[in-house]
Amino acid sequence: MKKLMGKQRSEYFISLFLSIFASLLIGVLIMVINGKNPIVGYSALVTGSFGSTYNIATTFAKTVPLVLTGLGTAIAFRAGIFNVGGEGQLYLGGFAAAYIGITFTKLPPMIGIPLAILAGAVAGAAYGYIPAILKVKYKVDEVITTIMLNTVAALFTGYLVNHPFATTQGKMGATEIIAEQYQFSKLIKLSTLNTSIFYMAAIALIIYYLMEKTSFGYELKMTGQNSQFARYGGINDKKQMIVAMLISGGLCGMAGVFEVLGVHYRFLQNISPGYAFDGMLIALIVKNNPIGIILMSIFFGALKTGSISMENATGIPSELVLVIQSIIILFIAGEAGFKNIYKNWRLKKSSERKVGEENA
Amino acid sequence: MGDKIIELKNISKQFPGVLANDNINLEIDKGEIHAIIGENGAGKSTLMNTLYGLFEPTSGEIYIDGNKVRFLSPLDAIKHKIGMVHQHFMLVPSFTVAENIVLGIEPRKNKLFINKDEAIKITEDLSKTYGLYVDPRQKVETISVGIQQRIEILKVLHKGADILILDEPTAVLTPQETQELFSIVRNLVDNLGKTVIIITHKLQEVLQLSDRVSVMRQGKMIGTLNTKEANEQILAEMMVGREVLFDKLERKEVPHKEILKVQNIKAKDNRGLMIIKDISLNLKSGEVLGIAGIEGNGQSELIEVLTGLRSLEDGDIIVNDVSLINSTPKEIRNASIAHVPEDRLAMGLSKDASIYENILMGSQYNEEYTKIKIQLNNKKIKKRAKDLIKKFDIRTPSEDVLIGNLSGGNMQKVVIAREFSFNTEILIIAQPTRGVDIGAIEFIHEQIIEKRNQGAAILLVSADLDEIFRLSDRILTIYEGRITGEFKQGDITKKEIGLYMTGRNKSELGGGIGEEING
Amino acid sequence: MLRELFSLALIQHTIRTATPLILAALGGLLTQQAGILNIGMEGMILLGAFFGVVGSYFLGSSLAGVGLAILVGVLIGLIFGFFVIDLKSDEFIIGIAINIFAGGLTVFLLRSIFGVKGAFSSPGIIPLPRISIPFLENISFLDTIFNNHSIFVYLSWIFVVLVYTFLYKTPQGTWLIASGEYPQALETAGISPRKMKYISSVACGVFCGMAGSHLSLGYLTLFTENMSANRGFIALAAIIFGKSNPIKTLIAALLFGFFDALGMRLQVVGVPSQFTQMVPYLATILALFIVTKRQMDKSKKGAIEINE
Repeated sequence: MKKLMGKQRSEYFISLFLSIFASLLIGVLIMVINGKNPIVGYSALVTGSFGSTYNIATTFAKTVPLVLTGLGTAIAFRAGIFNVGGEGQLYLGGFAAAYIGITFTKLPPMIGIPLAILAGAVAGAAYGYIPAILKVKYKVDEVITTIMLNTVAALFTGYLVNHPFATTQGKMGATEIIAEQYQFSKLIKLSTLNTSIFYMAAIALIIYYLMEKTSFGYELKMTGQNSQFARYGGINDKKQMIVAMLISGGLCGMAGVFEVLGVHYRFLQNISPGYAFDGMLIALIVKNNPIGIILMSIFFGALKTGSISMENATGIPSELVLVIQSIIILFIAGEAGFKNIYKNWRLKKSSERKVGEENA
Repeated sequence: MGDKIIELKNISKQFPGVLANDNINLEIDKGEIHAIIGENGAGKSTLMNTLYGLFEPTSGEIYIDGNKVRFLSPLDAIKHKIGMVHQHFMLVPSFTVAENIVLGIEPRKNKLFINKDEAIKITEDLSKTYGLYVDPRQKVETISVGIQQRIEILKVLHKGADILILDEPTAVLTPQETQELFSIVRNLVDNLGKTVIIITHKLQEVLQLSDRVSVMRQGKMIGTLNTKEANEQILAEMMVGREVLFDKLERKEVPHKEILKVQNIKAKDNRGLMIIKDISLNLKSGEVLGIAGIEGNGQSELIEVLTGLRSLEDGDIIVNDVSLINSTPKEIRNASIAHVPEDRLAMGLSKDASIYENILMGSQYNEEYTKIKIQLNNKKIKKRAKDLIKKFDIRTPSEDVLIGNLSGGNMQKVVIAREFSFNTEILIIAQPTRGVDIGAIEFIHEQIIEKRNQGAAILLVSADLDEIFRLSDRILTIYEGRITGEFKQGDITKKEIGLYMTGRNKSELGGGIGEEING
Repeated sequence: MLRELFSLALIQHTIRTATPLILAALGGLLTQQAGILNIGMEGMILLGAFFGVVGSYFLGSSLAGVGLAILVGVLIGLIFGFFVIDLKSDEFIIGIAINIFAGGLTVFLLRSIFGVKGAFSSPGIIPLPRISIPFLENISFLDTIFNNHSIFVYLSWIFVVLVYTFLYKTPQGTWLIASGEYPQALETAGISPRKMKYISSVACGVFCGMAGSHLSLGYLTLFTENMSANRGFIALAAIIFGKSNPIKTLIAALLFGFFDALGMRLQVVGVPSQFTQMVPYLATILALFIVTKRQMDKSKKGAIEINE
């Protein structure tokens, strides 16, 4: 009995491994075409991401927003909602935290930090509520609305940091620095790794428990797999979708919070280089598995960190990893299809052989 | 009869994991009606799809009029004058009748454009030639199933078919429409020189219509008989591979108590049209109440209303003296109604989840299966799944297997196992054996009657009249959202019921047999 | 103020900004009719914009730029088709993967080919020709609105008519619709739905390639990161709004173009640019809301949705 389950899982691992391998191979190809040595490139990539304490710290610093947005996307996907709006939720969450940090400068950290986190989560959740209610109540496709809302959020916060909340220290599209007691301390000198990684770990644990172990998580999963079945079984599928989207928005909002409290100490108009899109990619690659999201986030964090060293060593633009990442997802999405093609090919081979034997 | 028009030699078709056709040999004579019978999954449709060029056989040869042919697509089959009427009609709903009939071979003007007038004329001419009336300008989505089948037949004839393959043509027809179809088929063969291959699993139809019959089982060809020499018993045994005893189901006398009362309900369908116009019924403990009707007359909506999945426009539903109006599906489940839905994959199961997760549905907050209220107790959940797998004879290596990997019969058993295990007073069961093999049908029927004997009140909706007759203590007929008749088991024949299912009554049959009880 | 807002320039601008939307939407509605929801148009447009510049810059002709953009469109259409049609992958995920791939690839190539970050512009990029219609010059308001546009503005209108004729008047168009609505019916009629779906997918790549090259070679001659700026998604909204009918989709695209133009005009009268830039995005959401709400009101009153 364990065998069959084991088979499905190991088949997935094989495809995941092959997909990553194939995309890295395409990376090799690109490097060779550009006349660079791929061995030098990739070894620089590895040492650049894990070669020193500083590099490891930078890699892990990058995982914080990836894990949060990844889990956020995953929990919405589980319920059958395609939240592509993590980026906008992140922006609003980040701004909300910055607002707390520059407004309530006298609060003790014991109250101020939870308040800032809460404010960011609520802002993200509220922003997730809009597409959720449009989807559930009016059947407006959430993919398009969330994408549109991303831009709206970026523009809106852009307005805020350029006009009403612009810092007085020059024109830079940022708020003032948040009060000192809100600033998370850095763990490794010079790197951006900070104490938010502990918050992230705790949040990830809670989300894992919620998704995998509880009745709530079960209802979420059934709603996402077959909403008619869920409704038939007594689950309020609409409520599940909305709750999932609120949690999703909250998590993405918190990703923004930690960028503000842990990394920049202020809100910047381009605070995220697309963390939520990477998070979404990660969730898709590991098929919404919470543990997988953490591991894949580390991998993505390493790619991002190491790519800079790769660029320095070979002159290959660090953006190569963007290409590699998107090819991984392409292969993973094609996984089932590739498997079928492979099986049919094997079938054809074996039947040809059989016919051959019969004729002989 | 004359020459062999089709010969299939040693045809095998391998799908990943399944040998659907295993070394099949079959000969079809010109001008005969040849029936091919077998259970679900016996490989009949695969064989015919191979003959129609939709699949390429893994090995084997096809001969038409003695010439070896190779079909890579339906186009090749059409060229050899083979046409197929599929079980699910191959008509594009938003297209008109004429557009559907000429699909793929549109008449053109200026080489590039469709000549729509010509298409309409073609359809009218066809209609006249074969005496099958259709309106060329009507959109298919607005047309009844019986007429859609006519369009399918015309479409195939328009492509020049001399050999017609009919795949389960009577599955969606009323008894009357079935007789009409048979006379059309007879006419095509006797007067217009066509050859017909008919795939079915209904033995009576085989005996009535065909000249010869071939039986398939588990991908193999068991044999071909002259229909004159066959009877139901022989064919059934060949199909199943053992002696089939449709045991009389043992009914116990159980005390009746009225549990469910439906009073003058009205409800709308998904398009917003009033589909349930006025239905009242009552259901007692220890009985099976069968609802007979052609699909689309409000049965599905009736079930959805009863289970809280559709809102009521008017009327009342009362269970044990409590009104269930505006109750959620969850509240209705708690009010002791379990439900086996008509479409197991659309509503009854999640094919991407494991067996045990599917069995859990409805009990996820039950104290027995949780720890500290919110956490699932997987040990107990799996234990229950294992017990039910055993009790309901679900063929699977383990409870962890995904539903999508099970056969139709085993999927249905999972649904029935789950719903029956709630031990509710009321069971609402729709199409319990659709797409299920004979062995599983027997088992499911026995389980239903056992529930009845234990005192459950069972509402059974089925498009299969045989099933309704076999299981029901009482039968209601439904037509256009109203109950048109109520009968006791044994008081009415299938033919008579067919009339009530189309809104007429048995006085039109001339001379009444059996007594109607007004409800 | 209203006078400043609603001027002839507004209409002229509407026509201009609607063009890439119209082009992309024509491609997208073909896949939509063939039963494929193409989220990847965004990336396809971006690739078109980039390779348009590459072709124009290195081959020294705007036609070569368009040609290269179309070629890449064919390629990406084939890849999209292969994954969605043959591998039967989730079209959402493939679409999103294509968008991310296009984003990464263009940024990467921008650096490795042109050695710049963010944007590339050069006098070496040859723009597409502008068309002036002599007899319009004498009628001043028609001249302002309709004259001296980039060539794709006019071509896009012709394409609307062509796509409309193709879909509803030719056998192949009928097959394409059938391949989306009921592929088995087409298959049993002896026509391969797979082929029709591939055709739609490649055609979508071609149209998006043209839309992209219009962006980078039409009025501006430059490529910037993320130049497509969600036009692929707005085009998708236009398709949904126009129910995949070329004429209705054209109207929807013009409407979105109008909101875009209006946003720019608002900036002139002093509204902060961030808000004016939001206009087309908010208009898209509103449009989707209206169209689905109307459908819902029409279809099911009283019924709890059973079939989603």
